[in-house]
Amino acid sequence: MARNRRSRTPWFSYSVVAIGGLLMALPFLDMLSSSFKGPGEYGILPYHFLPHHFTWSNYGAAFDQLQLGRLFLNSVIVTAAVTASVLVTSAMGGYALAKLRFRGRDVIFRFILATMMLPPFLLLIPDFIIMLNWPLAGGNNIIGQNGDGGMTTNIVSLMLPFLVSGFGIFLMRQFMIAVPEEMLEAARLDGAGEWRLFYNIILPQTGPVAITLGLITFVGQWNEYIWTSLIASTNPDLMTLPVGIQQLQSFIDPNRTTPIVMAGIIISILPVLITFLFLQRYYVRGVVLSGMK
Amino acid sequence: MTGTYAAATRQASARQGAAAPPVAPRSRRLRRQGRAGYLFLAPSLLFFMVFLILPSLFAIFLSLSQWGGYDLTQIKFIGVKNYRDILNLHSTFVSPILVNTLVFAALSVILAVVGSLVVAQCIERLRFQGFWRFLYFLPVVATVVAVGNVWKMMYQPSGLINGILNLLHVNSIGFLSDPHEALPSVAVVQAWASIGAAVLILTAGIKAIDRTIYEAAEIDGANSWRTFWGITLPLLRPSLLFVFITQCIAGMQSFALIIVMTKDGGPANATNVAAFEMYQQAFRFGAWGTASAMAMVLFVIIFIITLIQLWISRRAGDDD
Repeated sequence: MARNRRSRTPWFSYSVVAIGGLLMALPFLDMLSSSFKGPGEYGILPYHFLPHHFTWSNYGAAFDQLQLGRLFLNSVIVTAAVTASVLVTSAMGGYALAKLRFRGRDVIFRFILATMMLPPFLLLIPDFIIMLNWPLAGGNNIIGQNGDGGMTTNIVSLMLPFLVSGFGIFLMRQFMIAVPEEMLEAARLDGAGEWRLFYNIILPQTGPVAITLGLITFVGQWNEYIWTSLIASTNPDLMTLPVGIQQLQSFIDPNRTTPIVMAGIIISILPVLITFLFLQRYYVRGVVLSGMK
Repeated sequence: MTGTYAAATRQASARQGAAAPPVAPRSRRLRRQGRAGYLFLAPSLLFFMVFLILPSLFAIFLSLSQWGGYDLTQIKFIGVKNYRDILNLHSTFVSPILVNTLVFAALSVILAVVGSLVVAQCIERLRFQGFWRFLYFLPVVATVVAVGNVWKMMYQPSGLINGILNLLHVNSIGFLSDPHEALPSVAVVQAWASIGAAVLILTAGIKAIDRTIYEAAEIDGANSWRTFWGITLPLLRPSLLFVFITQCIAGMQSFALIIVMTKDGGPANATNVAAFEMYQQAFRFGAWGTASAMAMVLFVIIFIITLIQLWISRRAGDDD
């Protein structure tokens, strides 16, 4: 591209992007170096970037004080369940909207688009009340009363509001609409049912978009904070990594705990960073697709 | 996309009309498709019923009620009183909270859009684009807890930024403790965290612009500054509008960053924004009706601002 305009090295562009890149990386580097600072080394003046006494002890402390194993397990369970559910329901819904003809499809498609416009904060309060009054959960009776916390006592409550994604259905539909109609018609004439068509013809072709959607869902759910912190405030056993780390941050003397918190953060973002590093182009494609309308 | 969809349905009905003779098997097949369609969509529709329609209606009802929580039978319908309480000249919800929300959104949007536009324009001429993209995208995949805490650490008097300022013989700034600095300080973080996604979308938009237009401009002797203003910017408008609107919506409803960085919207309400106030009213003070009314007001404001942006962009498009 550069050769179209100027053949010489675009120094100006390089310096702009490099300075910007430094600004993007610096907080992460500061986080990394702080996580290796020994006791009494953080929070003193003057600021020094590199630790004087390099130590791994903050990572050990993070494991002890955070019950990191427990947090990790919760994060993995919730993220895996939500990602699986979003993939399955999006593929099914996308197939119906892309390749099946039935009365009301247009209306349903518009409804799915509209769901994407609804900001999450609007549903925060009613969703929480729905969880508290979920029938037959956490001691509730059939009309959802008299219990002690209802569904919020169960890890399922961390997943429920995220199980279906309007964006996911939309993404799958846009992708599946490109599958040639002839393939499906031929199979239909052979007497194959819609489920067979979906499973044998459509699904094998959805690989790339499934990775994109799975990755976006995985990252989003792994990082989810607001809803999980609400549920975990009534039941600390349900904390995930971000919530547990934030909890530690807000409790004790910051000068002592900040390096431990930084170590915890690094452990918690590693899975996402590694996945992103390898599957970057799929994620990028998803973001770009969302921008194409 | 509705266009292609309409075209597809038109095509479908045309084909249906053409294949008139074998009516019976086709209609049976369509009926079967109809059943299958609803079956495939059933889990999603059920979900939206329980977690979208029901809560939306409940949110509207709650915003017109007074309720202290727990016992659902205690909900008292009080009409628009909640709205009257929060929307008057003396209410803290209007000032400083809604003002904060708009300032926060405007600051973060301007920073993110200008920053991402400059970077996208420059990145496109470089090698190692994957590496740069990865760097700019890092904050987007990091949790808000990581982003908020690391910036909070850097903003401390003993943190990285004040360390650099002191090296340059500038006095330390209380980024999060000074009421005048706190809101812009958090807005910078919001912009920092969202710039990567904007860069991606704008880079894709720039790549989609026809190369021959640039070549023609070069033959005419236009410099890169002129081609940027004359070609890139106008042709990039759809992507730019998308980035602008999504960043605006995100900025107006963002409050996780504020919880993480300032905990209570302080100092002295300086970083208190509408979504955060709603959260506090409901989950800390148990004023569920007031909180729901705040959520509705914010939703309507976001909706109106989005419509205005679309309208302005459409008008600008007509002028060309």
